[in-house]
Amino acid sequence: MLQYIGRRLLVAIPTLFLVITAAFFMMRAAPGSPFDMDRKLSPEIEANVLAQYGMDKPLGQQYVDYLAGVVQGDLGPSLKYRDKTVLDIVKENYPVSLRLGFFAIAIASVIGVSLGVMAALRQNRMTDNVVMTIAILGVCIPTFVTAPLLVLGIASKLGWLPTAGWNDGALPNMVLPVVVLALPQIAIISRLTRAGMIEVLHSNYIRTARAKGLPEWLIVRKHALRAAILPLVSYLGPACAGLITGSLVVEKIFNLPGLGKFFVISALQRDYTVVMGMVIFYAGLILLLNLIADLLYAVLDPRVRLA
Amino acid sequence: MYRPFRRNHGILALGFASAFLLLQGCTPGKPRVDDCPAGKVCLRAGNGVEVLSLDPHKVSGVGDHRVLLDSMVGLTMADASDKVAPGTAERWETSADGLTWTFYLRDAVWSDGVPLTADDFVFSLRRILNPATAAEYASLLYPILGAQAVNEGKAAPETLGVRAVTPRILEIRLEHPAPYLLQLAKHQTMYPVPRHVVEKYGNAWSKPEHYVSNGPYTIVSWKLGDRIKAVKNPRYWDAAKVCVDQISYYPTTDNITAERQVRNGELDMNADIQSNRIALLREQMPGYVRTHTYLGVSYLTYNNSVVALRDVRVRRALAMAIDREFITKKLMRGGQQPAYTFVPPGVANYQAVQPPEWAAWPFEKRQAEARRILAEAGYGPGRPLKIEIKHRNSADPSLIMPAIQADWKSIGVEARLAQNEPQIAYAAYRARDFEVGDAAWVADYNDPMTFLYLMNSTTGAQNYGDYKNPAFDALLKKADNEPDAAVRAGYLAQAERIMLDDATIAPVFFYVNKNLVSPRVTGWIANLGDIHPTQFLCVKGSPKAPAA
Repeated sequence: MLQYIGRRLLVAIPTLFLVITAAFFMMRAAPGSPFDMDRKLSPEIEANVLAQYGMDKPLGQQYVDYLAGVVQGDLGPSLKYRDKTVLDIVKENYPVSLRLGFFAIAIASVIGVSLGVMAALRQNRMTDNVVMTIAILGVCIPTFVTAPLLVLGIASKLGWLPTAGWNDGALPNMVLPVVVLALPQIAIISRLTRAGMIEVLHSNYIRTARAKGLPEWLIVRKHALRAAILPLVSYLGPACAGLITGSLVVEKIFNLPGLGKFFVISALQRDYTVVMGMVIFYAGLILLLNLIADLLYAVLDPRVRLA
Repeated sequence: MYRPFRRNHGILALGFASAFLLLQGCTPGKPRVDDCPAGKVCLRAGNGVEVLSLDPHKVSGVGDHRVLLDSMVGLTMADASDKVAPGTAERWETSADGLTWTFYLRDAVWSDGVPLTADDFVFSLRRILNPATAAEYASLLYPILGAQAVNEGKAAPETLGVRAVTPRILEIRLEHPAPYLLQLAKHQTMYPVPRHVVEKYGNAWSKPEHYVSNGPYTIVSWKLGDRIKAVKNPRYWDAAKVCVDQISYYPTTDNITAERQVRNGELDMNADIQSNRIALLREQMPGYVRTHTYLGVSYLTYNNSVVALRDVRVRRALAMAIDREFITKKLMRGGQQPAYTFVPPGVANYQAVQPPEWAAWPFEKRQAEARRILAEAGYGPGRPLKIEIKHRNSADPSLIMPAIQADWKSIGVEARLAQNEPQIAYAAYRARDFEVGDAAWVADYNDPMTFLYLMNSTTGAQNYGDYKNPAFDALLKKADNEPDAAVRAGYLAQAERIMLDDATIAPVFFYVNKNLVSPRVTGWIANLGDIHPTQFLCVKGSPKAPAA
């Protein structure tokens, strides 16, 4: 097992390297530069600024310098937020995204799996239809619709919760963003669970279990569920990465200090170092979470052997 | 068949452990933090954008300025309605030729108690112009003697025409008379930075833990994306009059969200409002909406290398055919004013020029005249003028460009729209990679020169249309060397007249600043520069609030 993990981590290095390389050159190929503003810098000032960030050197040299920095754990200064380094930005904003994303995924998993199992057990009956209709709606209605509607109803009209803001992570401020993040995930998770469950419930070993006379709840809990959530595990890896790196939409609507907006805003502002830092961070997370998903597979499915 | 997976219990344990760790640090049930100490007056302000730096030498945005102007005070400062008032300098005098200014500093200290001297200003001006500082906004100070040479690395910072005559007397010499020096002196580029702190911490001096200010507030914390917090500086020379004890600035990137927060009392004010909400908000939230003409103009520029656009008749016809009343009153609805001239109304040191004669005509008459002069220039139904409008994809241009396209279609001009990210569009204009371009200019300081110099033939890249009229250039030069403000204003008005007659650009609308301010805040005055120092604000019911 440890050997397997070690090998996977080794393979991750060239993958990350490719991602960094591709992102570096694609970012530089985009028109414009971080120092393009609505007003022109005089050539002398522009030269001063470029020199300060080593951007007066040839692109190849900048690439080598950047890689050398990354290897030493230095992601460089932000080109726009001039008091902050890329690591500062990640450190200050990542905990917010992580916390919101973690709660959203946790809630979505519990509710989604329960709904999926319920629907599968009552396949094509009323419960199933209701759950699946809600699930379809949950997938189809984007967060930029659900978020303002929830804010309007629960925060503005009823006044139960604040409309926006982080407020140092106070619980009332987290409720709505977490719900908004969780809703589409509940929908997807319940559909995945339902599909997996229906398939498993028709398999031979469940029939065997039933023939042995095991009670239905035991069959579902101990035998069926474990196999049924396998597709979910592969889905959850990237979904977690997506959720815990933050969401631009939710952060904007709730005015939260998360990481998601830096990805998008920095790309628009051509803040090269921040974009690269986000790419590395995101890619690293996906690699890690996929590894965890594969390990969980081995835990859940006795047929999988990690070698 | 089924085997319990005992061998893997370690992994499950790991999973639970990590989940547990994640939950650590969450303290559910924590009451809403207001962190306003009991008995203190606190304000929460939506600042629109995230601040890029707290070092006044490294920023150029209005959002940065809003935060810094509470912490730093230049030689002059803005009063509650953005008029020039004595700041760190109690008084000043200028030589007869307008080239030498002497500022007499008051007895002031930094927030850490160290005395503030003329030497701090000398140090600061040398620092911002030093090429090593890489200050993007340094060129604003080029009227100071030797500033450009220093900034371009051709002369040592010590050669700058600024010296401390005594610790309390600062002398600034200029390249040419500049009546707007007092406007510049309240701008962030001329803020003092604390020499003793900058020399100790280098670039890290502007981190909140090291921050030292000379103004009514000092910054105590900054969490990126969340807020900047500043508290009253008891050592500020006018501290006795300051009412608000604590101010937090929030980066409100979404205007609708900020609007809800103000409505709910979570914010006391926000520095912007989505234009098309203004009418509604005036009804729903009486007393909150504050608008005022702003120091900005939106205009269309014509590429001089496009043959058709070199013809003044074509340019004039295109300008005439834009229905600015419809654009401002029906589309934007935020209080923006139709622009028929270039320099916004109300600018300091300015004499308003008359709009072109056609501006007063009924729109149908303008269209007919536009068709007639286009035909005269050789364009008509048989040979329509075909051009591309390159525009920024930000909210306002995206809203109004289709209207301009339709206006031009009705005089037989076939315009295509091509949208770009703003900075990409501007880079294209500078490279002359456009036919008609949508541009805007917001003043660096309150003076007509900040607008008119754009059309000077020596301006280069930012004179997108490569406008060149020797009479115009000569008038700007005369204005630059004129110590008498009224005479200078006359030269500038003549210059604007020439440029408008040449139809080198088509002004579209003048900007408006839009603030949402809770009626609980007192002392807030809408003004041209959109400058609202917190030191002049208070809240209703506070002992320091003016009687209602």
